[in-house]
Order: sequence, then C-alpha cells, then structure tokens
Amino acid sequence: MRSNAGFVFVLPALIVLFMLIAYPVAYTGVLSVTNEQGQFTGLQNFADVLRPRVTTQALWNTLWWVGGSIVFQVILGVAAAILLNQNFVGRAIVRSIALIPWVIPGIVAATTWAWMFHTEFGIINHMLTGVGALDEPIGWLTRGNTVLPAMIAINVWKLFPFVAIMVLAGLQSIPQELYEAARVDGASYWDEVRHIMLPQIRPVITAVTLLLVIWALNSITIIYAITKGGPANRTLITPIQIFRLAFENVEFNQAAALSVMFFGIVMIIVFIYIRALANQPGDNQ
Amino acid sequence: MTAAASSRLRRPGLGTPVIIVGALLLVAVCLFPFVWMGLSSIKQLNELYTIPPRWWPDNPTLANYYKVLFQSRIPRYFLNSVIISVGSTGLALILAIFAANGFARFRFRGRSFWQAFILVGQLLPTAAIIVPLFITLKVLGLVNTYWGLILVYMIITLPLSVWMLTSYFKAIPIELEEAAIIDGASRVGILFRITLPLSMPGIVAVLVYAFITTWNEFIFALCFATDSTVKTLPIGLAEFSTEFNTDWGAIMAASMVMTIPIALLFLVFQKLFVGGLTAGATKG
Repeated sequence: MRSNAGFVFVLPALIVLFMLIAYPVAYTGVLSVTNEQGQFTGLQNFADVLRPRVTTQALWNTLWWVGGSIVFQVILGVAAAILLNQNFVGRAIVRSIALIPWVIPGIVAATTWAWMFHTEFGIINHMLTGVGALDEPIGWLTRGNTVLPAMIAINVWKLFPFVAIMVLAGLQSIPQELYEAARVDGASYWDEVRHIMLPQIRPVITAVTLLLVIWALNSITIIYAITKGGPANRTLITPIQIFRLAFENVEFNQAAALSVMFFGIVMIIVFIYIRALANQPGDNQ
Repeated sequence: MTAAASSRLRRPGLGTPVIIVGALLLVAVCLFPFVWMGLSSIKQLNELYTIPPRWWPDNPTLANYYKVLFQSRIPRYFLNSVIISVGSTGLALILAIFAANGFARFRFRGRSFWQAFILVGQLLPTAAIIVPLFITLKVLGLVNTYWGLILVYMIITLPLSVWMLTSYFKAIPIELEEAAIIDGASRVGILFRITLPLSMPGIVAVLVYAFITTWNEFIFALCFATDSTVKTLPIGLAEFSTEFNTDWGAIMAASMVMTIPIALLFLVFQKLFVGGLTAGATKG
C-alpha cells in the first residue's frame, strides 16, 4: 500500500522524539560556543573544560569502565547462554532467576552491593577472609586501586544476563542440520561450540556489544550512587563529569562543550560498529 | 563403538556434573545479593553491625519495614513512581501503536530513514543531552512536574517499543486486513479491530518493557524531579542512603520494597517479555 497515510501514523512519534532528541542535540551545540549571556565565544568553553587534568583522567576512567565491563559481560553472558542452551531439569527456573539482576533497578543493585562491599560489616570481606583469600578486610570502595574494579564487577553482574538471553535466542535459532552435519563428521561438543555456535552467534554478539557500549557510556547510576566519582576522582567517568559540571558547578556552557565532544566520540563508535555490523553477513570465512 | 550409534540419537553436550555446577553457580551469583538484602532488612542494628558479620538474624524484626513505610517519604515516592511509570508507559504505547502500524503496513517516502532515526534515539548518550533537556523543560515549565518526566521518558521507551511492535505487526497476515478493506473498514478500524487483538503478546511485552525501564530510571529523575512531590523511588532510595547513612537495615528494607513489584511483574510476564525482546533483536 503506497500512500502518505503511513507517514500520518508515524508522525506523532516522530514529533515527540524530534522535540526530545534533535532539538536538544542542536541546542547543546549552541550552548557549547556561547557564554552565559548568550554571546558567541568560539572555542573558549572547549579550552576551559579541557584544561583541568581531571578531564583527561575522566576519559581514561571511562575507557577502563567501558572496556572492562564489556569484556566480562560478553564472556560470562556467552558462557551462561551455552549452559542454558543445554536441556536439563529446572532449566526454565534457572533462566528466570538468571535474568533478575538485569530487571531490578540499578540503584538497588548499587546500594545492595555497596553494603556487601562494606569494609567492616560487609559480607564479601567476611567470606574472603573466611576462606583465607584475604589476610585482612579490604576497603573496596575507599581504596583507589580497588574501587573502579568493584564498580565494574557490579556492572558486569547487572548486565551479563542480558547478553545471556540474547545469545541464547541466537543459539536456539541455529538450524539443526548444522549440528547433524557436524555429528556425521564425528565432531565433539567443544568442536560444535567453536565451529558452529560461536560463528553463528557472532552477529548477535556484535549487536549486543554495541548496546552494551552505549549503556556503559550512559550508566551513571551505579557509580554515582556509590561514590559520586570519588575517591580522588578514581571513578569519575565523563558522563558523571558532565552531570557535575552542569548541576553542581552550574557551568552549563562548559558542560555543553564536554557533551559535544562526548557525543562526537560516541557517534564515531556507533558509526564504526554499524559499518562492521552491515559488513558481517556473507563473510563466513 | 556404540558411542557413534548413540550420538545420532542423543545430542552431545556438556557433562552432567558441569551442568549442575554451572547452574548452581549461576543461580548463586544472581540471587545472593537479594538473599543478603532480605536477611539484612530483618536484622536489628546490633546484628547488622557485628564483626564478623552474622548470616542469620537471631531476633528477626520488621522494624526496618515499619520505618520505611510509616516514617519516611518512601510511600509518597512509590505513588509518584507508579503515576509516572503508568503515564509514560501508556503514552509510549499509544504513540508506538500508530507508528508501528505506519512502518509495518505502508510504504512512504523516507520510511527507512525515519525508522533508523527512531532507533538512533536508543543509541544516544543520555548524558550529552541532559543540559539542553533541562533548559527546555524549564522554559516549558515542566521541571518538577509529572508531565516533564513522562515526556522525557519517551526517549528511553519509545524507540524500542516502536521497533518491537513493528516486527509483531509485520507478522500478521496482510490478507486479513485486505479482506476487511473490501468489507469497507477504515485504516484506523482495521488497526483496532484486527491488528491489535492479534498482537496482544507484543503489546504486553512492550508494556512490561516500558514499565520496568521507567520504574528503574535514575538520571533523568535525578535532574528533572528535585521536589519531593514528584521524586520517584530510585531518587528516594539514593536520598535514603544519604539521610540514614548508617542505617543499612532500613536501606535494605527500602530496596526490598522497590524490588518486589518489579520482580513479580517480570516473573509473571517473563515469557512474553523475553520473547518480544529477542524477536525484535534477532529480526530487526
């Protein structure tokens, strides 16, 4: 059916999203090159926001946060999916339970894990010292070199179930003939994993990884709720820096300049990824 | 060898011990924080603050729940959360039904462009648009109102809702609609009398998805709802942990109050929810 009626149906949603996305994005651009009085100042805001050392530090923290989260989310998610793809009694229940971390609010995950990581009264220190893995309790959330890994661990726990469920759907859509052909050739289970499952779910993994990158770049909740970026900016990631510049220092224009740079980097990542995704079908080696 | 013969009948797989250990480990990792949350929420202060920590409470108490439900603002925030989540879920559903109908059933100029535009919304770094959104809402007088958050939540719920519903609508045989057109039904009539009843699983999946995402949302709520008349539960919980800094029992009780509705909703509808989500992802 070819008519403009279709566009009429789509229009309300487009107007709402345009108002909430396109306009703010354009407005950020304007804010980033003007001062509080609205006068054009060129690249002054960019220079101001790039000068402090903390901006570079936040960028490095962001890279660690995103990279560390994604590697473990994908590995654990794929492992859980391969497990859940097996037939065993109680599989449905295990699958439901495994999804709960992903469904519950980020702030609940943050507070509960903060309590578990508590230096004196936390159960994690108790368990680790109990089995002899630690000699004495560690201040996970107050020590500079443990706090970011702890945050990454929470983020991995929260999101690997999402990877698992998506990869599981991919595994279940693999044609049965592929397995049968492999079995005729005498393939073992691990041959199947390596030569059938992993190659077949590669598109799903690529798509899910893109979502995970975006979510990691957006996820302020866990870090903000536990450390607000501290101690000594060790967990300050760029989104939190933007938030604090805008709402704590009330430097809207500098926050906008940082937003523009952040936005640019994210869009480049998205673009590269979508290109990779588009090139994928067909190259089955 | 007999193994060759039996492998035709039985799919090779992980050994039973590996499956058992793996499944137990998976369940333990996923559930332990909730068990600890629940246990902590019924402990008295002196049992919470002992070194080493105690696993089971000797004198279980509901005092923490009493504090959360009757001596804090959590009930009010709960109400705010319900209003905002229901409002934005409803609005997203209405907009998504029309948009998905347009995308699934019509060809028009720029269709794939607009479909991509909607998806890009899902990929947007939210932190980058907080500042201009705040200023826009302020100009419109929508900061600290229910409507402000309901509208802003369209950014996070609408794109995936449109995407999921489009794939559901496409799966409905077009012959049904053509028959209705011959019988003289209008486009909107077809949408409401044929397409919608046939895609109820998709509708439920979208509803659950939108409700859960808005119920859990933190950053927008933190920026755009600073008054206690509109604050949502996630903000309430964050505030609670600052206000009752040392009272982890009450914080864990508040976490339980916040988790239970969403966990129940998910467990009841999980089959439809997961089905809708993975269908959208693998076909999209």
